[in-house]
Amino acid sequence: MKIFLSLLKSPGFIFGMLLFLGTILLALIPPLTMHLDHQTRVGLPFMPPSGKHWLGTDQMGVDMFALLIQGLRASLYVGFLAGTVATFIGTLIGVYGGYKGGLIDDILTVGTNLFLVIPSLIVLILLSGSIEEGRSLTLIAIIIGCTTWTWTARAVRAQSASLRGRDHVNLARINGYGTFGIVFMQILPYLLSYVFMVFILQTAAGILTEASISMLGLGPYDSISLGKILNEAMKNEALTDGAWWAFAPAMVLITVIVFALYVINTSMEGVFNPRLRK
Amino acid sequence: MAPVLEVIDLRLHYLTRIGEKIQAVDGVSFELKVGQILGVAGESGCGKSTLVNGCMGLNLPPLFHTSGDLRVDGQSLVGMSVEQNRREILGKRISMIPQGALNSLNPTRKVRDLAFDMIRSHDGAADKKEIYEWLRERFDKFGLNADQVLNSFPVQLPAGMKQRVVIGISTLLNPKVVIADEPTSALDVSTQKAVIQLLFNLMDSGIISSMIVITHELPLLRHVADTIAVMYAGEFVEVGSIEQVIYDPRHPYTQTLMGAMLSAEPGQKARKPVFIEGAPPDLKNKIIGCRFAERCPQARAECRTHQQAIRVLAERQVRCDYAQ
Amino acid sequence: MFQNHPTLTHILGRAGWYVLTFFVAVTVNFFLPRLGSSNPIDILMAKAGGSSGMDTKAAREKEEAYLKEFGLVQLDRTGNVLRDGSGKPLPTSDWTQFASYLSLSLKGELGSSIIQYPKKVSEVIKRSLPWTLSLQVPTILIGWIIGNILGALAAYKRGAFDKLFYPLALLVSAVPPFCVGILLVYVFGISLEWFPAMGGYDDGLVPALSWTFLQSASYYYVLPFLSIFLIIVGGQAIGMRSMCIYELGADYVRYAKFLGVRESKILQYMFRNAMLPQLTGLALSLGVMVGGALITEMIFSYPGLGMAVLSAIQSNDYPVIQGCTLLITICVLIANFSVDILIGFLDPRIRTQSAGAR
Repeated sequence: MKIFLSLLKSPGFIFGMLLFLGTILLALIPPLTMHLDHQTRVGLPFMPPSGKHWLGTDQMGVDMFALLIQGLRASLYVGFLAGTVATFIGTLIGVYGGYKGGLIDDILTVGTNLFLVIPSLIVLILLSGSIEEGRSLTLIAIIIGCTTWTWTARAVRAQSASLRGRDHVNLARINGYGTFGIVFMQILPYLLSYVFMVFILQTAAGILTEASISMLGLGPYDSISLGKILNEAMKNEALTDGAWWAFAPAMVLITVIVFALYVINTSMEGVFNPRLRK
Repeated sequence: MAPVLEVIDLRLHYLTRIGEKIQAVDGVSFELKVGQILGVAGESGCGKSTLVNGCMGLNLPPLFHTSGDLRVDGQSLVGMSVEQNRREILGKRISMIPQGALNSLNPTRKVRDLAFDMIRSHDGAADKKEIYEWLRERFDKFGLNADQVLNSFPVQLPAGMKQRVVIGISTLLNPKVVIADEPTSALDVSTQKAVIQLLFNLMDSGIISSMIVITHELPLLRHVADTIAVMYAGEFVEVGSIEQVIYDPRHPYTQTLMGAMLSAEPGQKARKPVFIEGAPPDLKNKIIGCRFAERCPQARAECRTHQQAIRVLAERQVRCDYAQ
Repeated sequence: MFQNHPTLTHILGRAGWYVLTFFVAVTVNFFLPRLGSSNPIDILMAKAGGSSGMDTKAAREKEEAYLKEFGLVQLDRTGNVLRDGSGKPLPTSDWTQFASYLSLSLKGELGSSIIQYPKKVSEVIKRSLPWTLSLQVPTILIGWIIGNILGALAAYKRGAFDKLFYPLALLVSAVPPFCVGILLVYVFGISLEWFPAMGGYDDGLVPALSWTFLQSASYYYVLPFLSIFLIIVGGQAIGMRSMCIYELGADYVRYAKFLGVRESKILQYMFRNAMLPQLTGLALSLGVMVGGALITEMIFSYPGLGMAVLSAIQSNDYPVIQGCTLLITICVLIANFSVDILIGFLDPRIRTQSAGAR
C-alpha cells in the first residue's frame, strides 16, 4: 500500500496516468454523447477541418473525427489484448524456466532466443499475408501477442531465477509443494509489480506493432484502426495533397498513448527500483 | 602525541527522496592516535556505517554534512575542495576497506589495472613497470601468489582472496588511518582469522598506523580493538578500553548489550542472555532526552526530558547522567 | 586445444546456435504462409485450375511454370501437370514441397517473380539489397554509438542537461518509427521541399558509380537516414542512461571513489560496464530495428528490400515475399552473430565462463 502512495507522489506517474486516462476517455465518451458515423460519406474527399467536421474528411468523404475515435478504440483494444497475451505467455515461460533452472530452463531459453532473433515483423508479414478475410482485430491482437512475448520472457526469467534460492521458496519445496503451487504462491507474488510494468510496456508495443502492420496494408480486414488510417492516407496520397488532417491526428494519438505508457513505466521503475533513485 | 584523526562534534544527515532529513550521526567526537585500534560497535542502523562514510571528508549524496569538524594531522577536511580531498586524503591518508568487499572490485578490470588506476590517480607520473613490481612485492607479502592474482579478473578469485586483494589495494599508499567496515561479515571462520591476521601484520610492519573497525559482532572487537566506542541512535554512549566496556560496562545500553551477547567464555556461561525489547528511535524526528530511555531498564522520568551529555565516569566516557 | 581458447569455444558455440536458428527460420519461412486460409499456394492452385476463368492464358502459363519449378504439383511422365476432375492440379505433399524448397534455396534458387515474370527473385533481391544495406548498416551503427554516448552523458551530468534531455529522448523513442518518417516526409519533403520525399535517386538516372548518381543518391539519403537515426538514438539513450545510473550506484564505483580514483577513470568504468548489457540489448533488438528501418524504406519508397516486400505484398507476389523475408532473416542473423562475437571479446566474464572457471 505504501508503495502505491509513493507512486502517487511521483510527478511522472501522475502525468502519464492523466495522459493515458485522457485518451481512454476520448475513446469512450464521444461515441456515447455524439453521433459519430465512421462509415458513411458526409462530404467531399479530403475536406479540411471545419466547424461541422472537426478533423475534415478522408479520401472517401467520411468524417475524419469519427474515423479517428473508432480507430482509437480499435487500437486500444488490440494493444491491451496483445499486451495481455504477450505478458501472459512471456511470464509463464519466464517464471517456469527461471524457477526450474537446468535443462528445462536451457530449452526454454533457446526457444525464446529463437523467437527473439527471427524478426517478428517478418513473422507477422508471413502470417498476416496468408489470412485475408479472417483478419479481425482480435486475431491480429492474438498474433501480435504471440510474437512479441520474447522480451518479457527473458526479463521475467531473470527475476524468477534470482528468487529461486530464497528461503520461503526452499521451505515450500521441502514441505512438498509441487512446482505450480510454488510458482503461483511463492514466486509470482513477488514479481507482481515487475509483471505489471512489463504489461504496460507490452501494451505499448502492441499498439505500435499493430500500427506498423496496418500501415503495411496487413491490418484488420473490415475494421479501422489508427494504423489503418495512416495506411489509407498514404495510399491515397494525402501526404502529397497536403491533407495533414488525414494522418497527423492518428500519428499524434499513437505517440501520446505510447509516450504516456512509457512515462508511467519509468516512474514505476523509479519507485520500485531504489537504485535508480537519485 | 598529536592524534592522527580528530572528529569534533560531527553531525551527518540523509536527505530522502521526499525531502525528509534523517540525522544519522548526531554529535560524535573522538580522537584516534597512532597505533590505536578503535572499534565501533552497535546494532544495525545505529549510524556506525554512516559515521565512517563521512569520516573521510567524502560525502556521497544522499548523505550530507550538517556540522562539526574533521581533522587529519591537524588539517581540517571540512571545507576542503573535492579535488584536494580526492588527491591527498582518500586512499592516501585515510583509506576504507568497504563492507561487501566482495562486490567492490570492478568485474571487467584485472586486479593490477585497478591498483594501477588508484596509484595513477594520486601520482599521475608513476611508471607502469615500477608500479607492477611494487604490487608484486606487496601482494607476495600477503601470502598471495602475486603474479596469478594480479593478472586475474575478480570473478576468477575466491571470496577470501578477494577480501585480501581489497585490503591490499586499500593499503597500497600506506594510509595513516584504515577504516574497516564489517571486514569479516560473509566470511567463513578460517578466512575471518586470516583477514584479522593480515590486518595485524599490516599494523605491525608499519604499513598502516591506526585502524577503526566497525562491526556489530562484539566477539570480533574483543580480539582486534584496544578501545571500543558503543554507538546508539547516532551517538556514542560509552567509550573506553576493552576491559572497561566489555567486562565492566556502565551505560545501561552497553550493559544490556553485553548481557545479550552469548559467550562461551569462562565466567560468562553462567549468565542468562538478556533480551532488549523495542527498537531504536526514528531519527527523522527531533529527539528530546535520552535516546535509549524507551528501552532502558533503569530509566527514570528525567531521562525522557533531559538531554544526556557525555561525561567521564570510572575512567571512560559515558553518556548517562545516572549511570554508576 | 579448446581449453586455452575460451573465446574460440564461445564463438563456435554461438555459430552452432545460429546455424540451428537459420534452419528454424527457413522452416518458419516456408510453413507460416501456408497456415492461413487464404494462403498464396492455394490461391495459385485455384487460378491454375482454370476455375476462376479470369486469367489470361499467359498468366496461367506463368503460374504453371512456378508450380512446376517448385515441385508443388504432381507431374506425369511427360512433365505435364496432373489434374483432377475439375481441372485443378494435384498438389504434392507438404513435405515434398518443403524438401524441394530447401534444396532449391540452398542452391540460391529462389524462383521467379510472378508479377515480373520471368525476372528471378534473386535478381530482385540483388537489386534491392545494396540499397537496404547502405541505408541501414551505417544508420544503425552511428545511431547506436551516439545514442549511448548521449545516454551516458545524461546519467553522469544529471542536473539541467538530464532534465531537458530525458523527457525529450523518451518522447522521441515513444514516437512510432514510421511516424518520424511520415513527419519528416511531410515537413521537409513536401511542405518545405528541402529534400526529396520519395525514391532513392532522381528519375532518369541509372544506378552507376558515377559522381552524378552518387550525388543524387546522397540527397535522397538524408531523410530516410534521419528517420531511422533519431529513433535509434532516442531508444539507446534512454536505455544507456538507466544502465549508467545503475552502474554509478554500484559497490565498485563507491569503492573506487573512496580510494580517490579520478572521476574520468570512474566514468570509463561506468561506460565500459554499462555498454555490455547495451550490446546484448542491441543483439536482441536488431530484429526490431531492422523491421522499423524496413518500414521507413516503405514510407520513402526507397528502392530497398522493404519496398520490394511491400509491392510484393500488395500484388500477392508470393515468391518475392518469401525470398525477401528469408534474406532479411539471414541478414539479421549475421548481424546478431557479429554482435555476439564482439561481446565475447569485450566481456571478460564470458571468456572465463566458457573456460569453466569459477
